[in-house]
Amino acid sequence: MAQRRLSWDWYPGTIPDNVVMDETAYVETTFSFHLYRSQESVGVRIGRGASTYLGTMFDAGPRARISLGDYALVHGARIICDAEVDIGPYALISWNVVLMDTYRLPLDAPLRRRELERVALRSPRSFAAPVPARPVRIGANVWIGFDSCILPGVTVGEGAIVGARAVVTDDVPPYTIVAGNPARVIRRLNMEEMSHEA
Amino acid sequence: MSDTAEGKPGCWVNGDLPANVRVGINSLIIGDNAFKRFRSKCQPALVIGSNCTMDGVHFALCEEGHAEIGDFCYFTNAVLLCELDLRIGNYVVIGWNATIADSDFHPIGPAKRIADAIACSPLGKGRPRPEIIREPVVIEDDVWIGPNATVLKGVRVGTGAWVEAGAMVTRDVPPRKRVLGNPAQIVGDV
Repeated sequence: MAQRRLSWDWYPGTIPDNVVMDETAYVETTFSFHLYRSQESVGVRIGRGASTYLGTMFDAGPRARISLGDYALVHGARIICDAEVDIGPYALISWNVVLMDTYRLPLDAPLRRRELERVALRSPRSFAAPVPARPVRIGANVWIGFDSCILPGVTVGEGAIVGARAVVTDDVPPYTIVAGNPARVIRRLNMEEMSHEA
Repeated sequence: MSDTAEGKPGCWVNGDLPANVRVGINSLIIGDNAFKRFRSKCQPALVIGSNCTMDGVHFALCEEGHAEIGDFCYFTNAVLLCELDLRIGNYVVIGWNATIADSDFHPIGPAKRIADAIACSPLGKGRPRPEIIREPVVIEDDVWIGPNATVLKGVRVGTGAWVEAGAMVTRDVPPRKRVLGNPAQIVGDV
């Protein structure tokens, strides 16, 4: 496959071969793939009209599968993925948001020490400990405010809003607003406002 | 131990280390901005042990700032704001965009803050700044600090503690506890 570069890119990188991008999707910079290591047949899928801007990082391990739905807008999130991070269509994700499906390191201190000793001998220094990952799912039409963290295993339901700087530890019900650290439901959204002109 | 890394002196990949920074064997500092806010005059100012990875870390040490970091630490894009003293143990992991600060940088009292604003301004040339509270931060061995977390002045994070992503740590964390939230609360054991 020919190397895919972006004519507007400030970074001299390429789009990895196992990234499937709709021709109408927009990636601001290939620097977003600086930490990308996925070996899956499709590591990242970027849907129709979806876009990623500066600061977005696909920090993807060898088994990572990341999907951005149609019209999803990722404006600088850190996606730490060793298994699956699924972002639904029309999702709006702000800057400095962390979406993580794994802690990358064992919870057990002696095991963590062993991995830290090993990583110091690797080049590049990427973690490779067998740590269980739990998929993160961001539903369609979700809006996530800046500096928020979505922890491993969390599903944010369709249409929900996550307030700025929230830390989401549990699933978010569809069409609710959650805020705070840890995040709590503070409002339910009016479903009657759902009709929109496409 | 593999022999490829053994004996390699620690370095800053992007430039020459400031003279008052000591870095142990096989430790790597990566990133253009590592020392952009480094103004410490201490001798030494920053001591990093061996086998550490400091990727994208900002060492923002003021003139009197002094920081020590142990062996086998792994920090990703952490911001270390140091007016006095940071002590970080061995096998400490700090996640992306986390902040550790040993000061609030400005006084609490309104009048003192006005004096500080003037002293910091372009018109404040040479004017002394009011006293600010500075309290050492201690992070013991085997601590894990998640992305977007914050550890504030005077805090001791105990051995093996787990600071969850986004936590705002304002008080000491006992050893082997997991903390979460703003302000951070104990939510379990590690």
